[in-house]
Amino acid sequence: MKKTQILKYLILLVCVPAAVLLGALVFDDRKYIFVSACVAVLSCVPFFMSFEGKKTSTKRLVLLAVMVAFSVAGRYIFAFLPHFKPVTAIVVITGIYLGSEIGFLCGALSALISGFIFGLGPWTPFQMFAWGLIGLLSALLSAILKKNKIALCTFGALSGVLYSLLLDVVSTLWYDGAFNLSRYLALFVTALPVTAVYAVSNVIFLFLLAKPMGEKLERIKIKYGL
Amino acid sequence: MNKNGIAFSRFHPVSLFCYFLLLLLFTVFTQNPVLLTLALLGALLFNAATNTARQTLADIKFYVPMFLLVALVNPLFSHSGATPLFFMNDNPVTLEAVLCGVNIAVQLCAVMLACKAFSKVMESDKLLALFGKVSPKLAVVLSMALRFIPLLKRKWGEISEAQKALGYFREESVFSRLASYARVFSALVTWALENAVDTSASMSARGYELAGKKHFSLFRFTRGDGIMLALTVALSAVTLAGFLLGKADFAFYPRVSTVNTDIFSIITYAAFGILSLLPFIFEVKEVLKWKYLRSKI
Repeated sequence: MKKTQILKYLILLVCVPAAVLLGALVFDDRKYIFVSACVAVLSCVPFFMSFEGKKTSTKRLVLLAVMVAFSVAGRYIFAFLPHFKPVTAIVVITGIYLGSEIGFLCGALSALISGFIFGLGPWTPFQMFAWGLIGLLSALLSAILKKNKIALCTFGALSGVLYSLLLDVVSTLWYDGAFNLSRYLALFVTALPVTAVYAVSNVIFLFLLAKPMGEKLERIKIKYGL
Repeated sequence: MNKNGIAFSRFHPVSLFCYFLLLLLFTVFTQNPVLLTLALLGALLFNAATNTARQTLADIKFYVPMFLLVALVNPLFSHSGATPLFFMNDNPVTLEAVLCGVNIAVQLCAVMLACKAFSKVMESDKLLALFGKVSPKLAVVLSMALRFIPLLKRKWGEISEAQKALGYFREESVFSRLASYARVFSALVTWALENAVDTSASMSARGYELAGKKHFSLFRFTRGDGIMLALTVALSAVTLAGFLLGKADFAFYPRVSTVNTDIFSIITYAAFGILSLLPFIFEVKEVLKWKYLRSKI
């Protein structure tokens, strides 16, 4: 327990700055993409490590696996509608009802398993980071999101837009090596329809699923004492 | 241990992971057109050799437009470079930007095809064996999730059949269909959560919570895997030496630099070329062996 704590701080305080420095010193024209990839991976590691080091009840473990399976299976069920996927909604619901750690892991692992099935790529670490962050944020805001449906839907729409914005930054860094604003805006505009579909699908899925799924999760928590 | 029929995927997950990691790192962090072309060639040949005709067609439909788009779009956004070709909206379109765009397109396709090769070679059991070494708990979650996905799909089918038989599943209008889907989904969630708790009870009963458990892995590290790993590391070391000596340096701005052709540069290119072509070489070797053995029957 103590050891993982130390390692966690070591990663955040030593490895991340070291990656930034190394990137700036060694990789002249590719430094931004190197640094951002390293930071994306390294910021997922403490979550994985504290999960590994801690004693988690087997029930929570299996519930996490089921929620990950739901978000990936949703991609199959809605395969006929491109970009219209319940992944973000399920991650948000998991974050709200099962806490920040499970929320983050559900997002990150959903991205990873989607990668296993639909193909891993350079975008996978960033997807893991983005969805993990969405799960974490929804856990932090759970008090508001549980009660207020308008806040929940707004959060869903915003997370769709933020997800798209973040991955556009990655593409820009990838093409140019540095942040080129005009390229970023062009990418953002061309991706606008997809972003809109993300946002709308998040709102629809959250509107339909949040309450019934939440009730079922609460019921399981009470029934089996989680 | 070799379900997909790809010769290269017979190696141990650790060797394969190191191979792809090093290959991708070199490909991402160079701008040298020779190295990038070699990377693209290796990934392209391997994918072509292991694809079915239909997959190849789908790949051509996806990658060729992407290549052209990336290559053509770069000069519109990047106006550095010393040789203007013509002006568009008062912005120069430079020769350097055009060449750099082509180079980026080669790099992008090389990385994406290498990732595709990685996905082909590393099936989920290999990835789980890797994760299991580092983090047994995460590996358990991942393998359970991978098992739940087909289970959920099957259960979805079963529940909707049952609902249809009961006359609850209506598809007259969009709304009735949506309501039917929602009912099936609700039943599925209830079942999945209860099933998860049952599974966890069963795991506890079998001693999952006891200390000292390890991740089960079928993969054995053999001498061949060791040789493959050593080969990868040796080729990478030569390539890295070339990188550090500046043999792979290449810049597009302000002027396109010339490709180094001294003896050590050529050694660097050769080492990286072999590294990049390794999967394809194994594939060819396997086909030749098969042909030879058949010819003796």
